[in-house]
Amino acid sequence: MKRRTYIAGIGGTVGTGLAGCLSRDGSTDDPEETDDETTLTVATYESFLDGPSTSPGEWVKTEFEAEHPDVTIEWKTPENGLNHYIQRFEEGIEFDADIYLGVNVDDLIRADDRLEDSLFQDLDRDAVGNAERLRSDLDFDPQGRVLPYDTGYISLVYDENEVSSPETFDQLTQDEFSGTLLAQNAQQSDPGQAFLLWTISEFGEEGYLDYWQELQDNDVRILGSWWDTYSAYLEAERPMVVSYSTDQVFANRDGNDMSRHQIGFLEDQGYANPEAMGVLAGTSDQQSDVAHDFFDFLLTPEAQGRIATLNVQFPAIEGAELDDEYDQFALEPPETVFFDYEELQGNLEGWVEEWARQIAG
Amino acid sequence: MASEGASRRATGLTRRGYQWVRERSLPIAALVAGSVLLVVFYFPVAVVFLEGVVVDGLPSLAPLRGVLTDPFYVGVLADLFSRPTAVGDHLDSLFRWAATGFSRPSLGLIGFTGYQALLSTVASVAIGLPGAYILARYEFRGRRLLRSLTILPFVLPGIMVAIGFFAMFSTNGPLNALLGVFGVGPVEMLFTLEIIVLAHAFYNAPLVARLATAAWEGVDARTIETARSLGASRRRAFFDVLAPQLAPAVLAGAVLTFVFTFRTFPIVLALGGLEMATIEVWIFSRIQQLDLTTAAALAIVETVISIGVLALYLRFESRQYGAGQAPTQIDREPLLPSLRALFRPSRVAISVYGVFVAVLFIGPMASMIAESLTGPNGLTLSHYAFLFDRQSGGTAFQIKPWPAVRNSLLFAGATLVIALPTGIVVAVRRVRGDRGGVLLDVLATAPLAVSGIVLGIGLLRGLVFGLPLPGGWRLQVTGGVAVVAAHAAATYPFVVRNVAPAVGGVDLSLVESARALGASRVRAMVDVELPLAVAGIVAGAAFAVAISIGEFNSTVILAEGGDYYTMPVAVERYLGDRTLGPATAMGTVLLAVTSASFVVIDRVGGGRGDRL
Repeated sequence: MKRRTYIAGIGGTVGTGLAGCLSRDGSTDDPEETDDETTLTVATYESFLDGPSTSPGEWVKTEFEAEHPDVTIEWKTPENGLNHYIQRFEEGIEFDADIYLGVNVDDLIRADDRLEDSLFQDLDRDAVGNAERLRSDLDFDPQGRVLPYDTGYISLVYDENEVSSPETFDQLTQDEFSGTLLAQNAQQSDPGQAFLLWTISEFGEEGYLDYWQELQDNDVRILGSWWDTYSAYLEAERPMVVSYSTDQVFANRDGNDMSRHQIGFLEDQGYANPEAMGVLAGTSDQQSDVAHDFFDFLLTPEAQGRIATLNVQFPAIEGAELDDEYDQFALEPPETVFFDYEELQGNLEGWVEEWARQIAG
Repeated sequence: MASEGASRRATGLTRRGYQWVRERSLPIAALVAGSVLLVVFYFPVAVVFLEGVVVDGLPSLAPLRGVLTDPFYVGVLADLFSRPTAVGDHLDSLFRWAATGFSRPSLGLIGFTGYQALLSTVASVAIGLPGAYILARYEFRGRRLLRSLTILPFVLPGIMVAIGFFAMFSTNGPLNALLGVFGVGPVEMLFTLEIIVLAHAFYNAPLVARLATAAWEGVDARTIETARSLGASRRRAFFDVLAPQLAPAVLAGAVLTFVFTFRTFPIVLALGGLEMATIEVWIFSRIQQLDLTTAAALAIVETVISIGVLALYLRFESRQYGAGQAPTQIDREPLLPSLRALFRPSRVAISVYGVFVAVLFIGPMASMIAESLTGPNGLTLSHYAFLFDRQSGGTAFQIKPWPAVRNSLLFAGATLVIALPTGIVVAVRRVRGDRGGVLLDVLATAPLAVSGIVLGIGLLRGLVFGLPLPGGWRLQVTGGVAVVAAHAAATYPFVVRNVAPAVGGVDLSLVESARALGASRVRAMVDVELPLAVAGIVAGAAFAVAISIGEFNSTVILAEGGDYYTMPVAVERYLGDRTLGPATAMGTVLLAVTSASFVVIDRVGGGRGDRL
């Protein structure tokens, strides 16, 4: 394994026959690592590599390795996402990855709050020529350490046979929409948190809890994960769910009834949930150079189009090469809502906790 | 025994070694069990719990005080904890409470957690006991298969149970269609406390049934015959003779259910909603925020309550063992001797119960299987075709079905090899009241009382990150062997609970005779006690396999995203897009593989669980 000495098979740890393993940080270099051959280890979330229908991982690896024959991409999917590296950094343990793909703004804030030094290295944006193309509204790190590569929009997905199109937040508290909405626990779910932040953007820090009280009075259901809500939606228990505005792409691929996959942009808005990438602390200069090339590659119009289609998220640059299917079925809200880093820092945790206590209390 | 032939041929040295092992097999087994628990349970949990009582390097009660004085967590008790010496004020509020007619007090998040666990326990016992009665007292085709499959729900990942429940009990689902035929309904069951309690019963009533069935089968029929011949009514014989013999097993099932459902997650949020959040939900959210201090403080409070319940029970249990009768089994009555028998009141009651069980247990599982066979245009095998495609065409970094099946079976087999023999030894020593045995049993039962989320983060920080040693070295424990050890640790309470009552029912005089005739303690155990306790051992083995196959949290952390993924991991992974198909297809594979393993275990047990 990388940059570590392992004495494997020591066995007999504490006399139990457990396979113990001694390692020492930073004592040797990876033997595979030479000047000509580089392995770039990319940590990301599982569905980037392994979605049941499509995922971008394979295309990205094949294409990038074809353009850079001396580089091998190796994937990692740590169970706890970025928290895995935040905790390692805190404990002073070396990383098993060079870059992280899939940083949300709340992840970055948590990392910065927890750690004295930055979890991510500074980027040389000049070495990532395509970064010029980035949509500035998605570029959320004030220190520029991470680059967005795609974004989702949180919207409502509804069954037009059961409810009329939801247009405003106020409508959701009216009788017409009583007992129709499924939302997620903002403590554990990205779309759940985005929807909560959207209501804060709409009603302000002072007003959002009152609005949620009205939603509760109107029998909103707040389940755990996004899958909890979406499977309840698929079983037609409720006609409306907080989800993503790309829903029809999947419905089209699976041949599902489009009338059950209508997209509702409340107030003609959608809440953006950009995902970004950065070079992790402790990555060597050589690897960091390759990482910059890799980022530049991911931001080309071709790669942006492919990733959007395969990951079913929107591109982070202007002018990505999207195919017709995506153009037709992935709906973009007329207006984007998004709290940036500065607005969330110091507020996010309290907003979510107060909300959760109101619901559970 | 074959081993005797082998030892005769062996040299003097190995024979001495063999004898040494035999003489010390009890301590060795105890050492293995103890070490496994220490490494994969006590150490990782201590790593996290310390965060709750040490602040900035100094011991501190502030985090615990923070939890106990927050009305959100403990409701009206917050005032009591924040001003414990203001006795006058507290008495005053007590009187005022009495004056308002003992209105239901708010006990906060922790109070609600206990409340739903209590309801779930009552429901699980009420649903599980009749099942045990039928399995133990009646003979019918498929009885043994049914008994083998009772603990199948145990292995299902939470999200699969949620999908099964959504499908079965939704407003437009099969249950409401059925009720509609009788002009009832529709009943809105989802997102209620009732459905959470039923889902907990789905997991735990089989546990109660399985433990009680084993105990019922171990009841000495002669005790009942004697009571009846002395003039006791059936009712009297039941309450005075039978009930005391069943009580330990039923109580074991009830306590395990309470402790399990006390730390329930994620089923409450999937089927109920955030309004019905439990302590574990908050622990999870604190861990997500990396606020280990609050998470640990909450988890300590949770564990103390659970340990309290377990301790009450362990005290009671220790008085119950070693009644010591030679078992003569109660004869089973044919369930359906004739068609006319169908109209006997007992058979009518059994039919009603059968329908209920079919709806609650078979319903969700059948709905899940049906989901795996359904596409937008009706019946399809495309989701199974997906599994084959992924197997043949998946890339190296994608999860494939066959390795998941293989790993699950390998882990389950290895868990059985470690946990069963050592668990049996713990059970035997415990039943015979030896102090070390009682201590080991307590140590092995404690894992039930600890938050699975906390154990997970402890495994990550304690074992995966490794223990820092001098000179920059770190001692790490990860990979397949660590996974098996974690599974074994999770298994002990069940192996011991299943084996102990069975061994406890063995006539001690038989063991004593064997020893008087010169048999060693080990010999007496292997030749006399264990064959008599086969029913309990087979049940314990089935539980070991079920828990190993169903385990998720520790597995994903110790496997470190490597090649050790199991079937539940594959199920979660295939929940990718917007369709339930691939995941439910993998879930069906999980059910099929697990069912087959249970049947194999029962057959290997020689079916001697039935006839001793």
